[in-house]
Amino acid sequence: MSLAGKARFQFMKDVGAPALFALNKSAARKKRRPRPANPDFGPPLACAGRLKEIMARHYYLARFAKGARPVAWVTSGAPVELLRAFGYYTIYPENHGALCGAQKMGPELCQAAEEQGFSPDLCSYARVDLGHFFSRKTPAGRLPRPDLLFCSNNICQTVVYWYKVLAHYLKVPLVMFDTPFHFEEFTEADLDYMARQIQEMIPELERHSGRRFDEAYFRSVTQLSRDTSLLWGQCLATMKARPAPMTIFDAFVHLAPVVSLRGLPVAQEYYKILLAELEERAAKGVGALRQEKKRLMWDNIAIWYKVRDFSNLFASRGMNFVVATYTNAWAETIQYLNLDDPFKSVAQTYGLVILNNNLEHRLQLMSQMVKDYAVDGLVLHSARSCKPYSVGQYDLKRLISQRLGIPAVVIEADITDYRMFSEEQAATRLEAFFEALEAA
Amino acid sequence: MTAQPLAIPSRSHYLTAQKERGRKVLGVFPAQYPREILWAHDIAPMEIWDPPLEPGSAPAHLQPYICAVVRQGLELVLRGGAARLDGLLVPHTCDSLQNLASLLNDYLELPVPVLFFYHPKEPFRDSARAYYRRQLTILDQKLAARFGPRREGALEQAVAWGQRVAELAGRTYDLRARGQLSAPALEFYRVLRAGEFLHPEDHIPLLEEFLAVHQGPAPAGPVVLLSGVLPNPKELLSLLDQQGARVGHDDFLGLSRRLLFPASQAADPFDALCEQYFALPPCSTRGSALSQRLDWLKGLAQASGARGVIFYVVKFCEPELFDVPPLMAGLKEQGLATMSLEVELNQGVSGQIATRVEAFLEMLS
Repeated sequence: MSLAGKARFQFMKDVGAPALFALNKSAARKKRRPRPANPDFGPPLACAGRLKEIMARHYYLARFAKGARPVAWVTSGAPVELLRAFGYYTIYPENHGALCGAQKMGPELCQAAEEQGFSPDLCSYARVDLGHFFSRKTPAGRLPRPDLLFCSNNICQTVVYWYKVLAHYLKVPLVMFDTPFHFEEFTEADLDYMARQIQEMIPELERHSGRRFDEAYFRSVTQLSRDTSLLWGQCLATMKARPAPMTIFDAFVHLAPVVSLRGLPVAQEYYKILLAELEERAAKGVGALRQEKKRLMWDNIAIWYKVRDFSNLFASRGMNFVVATYTNAWAETIQYLNLDDPFKSVAQTYGLVILNNNLEHRLQLMSQMVKDYAVDGLVLHSARSCKPYSVGQYDLKRLISQRLGIPAVVIEADITDYRMFSEEQAATRLEAFFEALEAA
Repeated sequence: MTAQPLAIPSRSHYLTAQKERGRKVLGVFPAQYPREILWAHDIAPMEIWDPPLEPGSAPAHLQPYICAVVRQGLELVLRGGAARLDGLLVPHTCDSLQNLASLLNDYLELPVPVLFFYHPKEPFRDSARAYYRRQLTILDQKLAARFGPRREGALEQAVAWGQRVAELAGRTYDLRARGQLSAPALEFYRVLRAGEFLHPEDHIPLLEEFLAVHQGPAPAGPVVLLSGVLPNPKELLSLLDQQGARVGHDDFLGLSRRLLFPASQAADPFDALCEQYFALPPCSTRGSALSQRLDWLKGLAQASGARGVIFYVVKFCEPELFDVPPLMAGLKEQGLATMSLEVELNQGVSGQIATRVEAFLEMLS
């Protein structure tokens, strides 16, 4: 790390970025023509602008991070608290993939990876990321080259294969956190193994970052991370209100800080603002939809290129998604995080996330969500990219429908690659689902 | 004169015979598991890799983008395969098998128990070694709880069997690499793959007979290396044989990546199994670094004189599909020719693939 690099980063953080964003804001205000309001929706969330600013600032500052801070690319389920303790600037390729998906850049970047021999059957987050590596194209301006890759297989094994390829091409070290799948019982052996790995990673990270581990600082970061996830969980819980103060499509977007900035004060501050706004809306009966006739649950990652279309489609029928297993994943296990025993509790928190847990757990969790959020119907996104989320969904649909008597539908799609999405097939299935739901 | 194929019972007949002699039989999904512990409990593992079944019930449970190993394995179970078994064991190999294990255990109400085996992924830190050893003892205890305790000395005996199988497999591979094995590829893999269901008491003599019958000069045609999950469709092997090509070595998940390890000298059988697991060749499903796999493949090519590598990948197999492009690029840099074939199991070889393979072999000649 150079002194000049550090000074430049600090200057951009304290002066450059705030000035630039103030200018942009003012220019946007002058240019902005008010978008015609969709009559199906209630007033938009006021803090959405703040979210946009936070994420834009994060990607903008990333350009100056190289040389000032060690840079790591991280999987969304990895215990990032450990990296924060070493001062890493973190980039989440999955978040970047979602951004590319939402901007409808998925196929272009996937193709760039496919041209290098990567199969179109591989996860499209990975193909988008590799496509970015080969083509340098990104809607985020420029991503800093990582000094380190940090990966955990608690969300899938795919990230291991993907990050191994990145490590090979980028010639940077890969630090891997192996989390045994919770098949029936979470044994002491599993917990010890994970906790020991976290301790073993410390000297590795000291070597890679050139910094000493400060346990007190690690605890404070962990505390911040815990508080942030708890706040996120509280935000989601406001959607139990009828009408719900936001839709799950909003939550897919407002999820970004807890995924990408967890363990930093900015994420915690943001969720305080969001929670206050949601609570106020709930108290005043302000819904995300003007008329919330039916309440739905979403399973699996978002179909990023269809978020707006689906949001409009469901809203037009007075159907609001009020809960999702995906958004809940960043709040579900946070109660295990205990500062008295940070290593073991970090292991437990990250080892028991939904995708590392068995299907019986998923069934129980979703059944509870149906009750807690008064859900009338279930939509399962069968995501071609995500095997651990998708394998088992056909039976999950059957079991939830049978046991809870609610209609459910599976939509075959992909998270970012819209070449894998059939409008006609989805429309046919949704039409049947709407009929069943409206008849119920 | 070409030697006659050795007699190997069918899986179905063998399963019946094992049950008749009082052995328990566990259906085991791919790939890495300590089969010695099963043998020690007098359990015959019957591995489920590629049952030749048309899709019937499995598509109601699995999406079409799940690989055929998982789909056909489930098909076998749903068509009553499970009822002939005393249980199922699913090792943690990939996301699809992970969820299949849970699907079988949590949702499908099978008549038999489903066991799961997690093995650590790379990098293998000290914690991984300690954890793997604990996993071995946990599996041992689970089998004892369900099927009764193993007899004294049974595990030591099973470890010795495993080492003998590895030694014989190692000799077979070594002779083949040196061009001193006359067996066609089709027969080589038929005999080696018999270990997926034969008890070592039957597989060891088969391997010994195979070595006795087939020591001799190999065909003088081009030498290739095969990499992938398993040698299916077998028509590709026949094609290589017909073209006079010699398979110099392989890097199949179902074969060399599990079979080739140096015998541990450890006195404690769990220690021995532990050492042997960590000494296995690099593998995508265990998270091995690409540089390790690349060096391994280069070494195999060098040892066998192979000038070309055929990647023989089951469609939708993520662990392999991620590794193939960088491996191909790295091998090309070493002057090795490469080709990649995405195949479906048990569906033969299309004319197009046959033409590609023939052209590839011609290029190597």
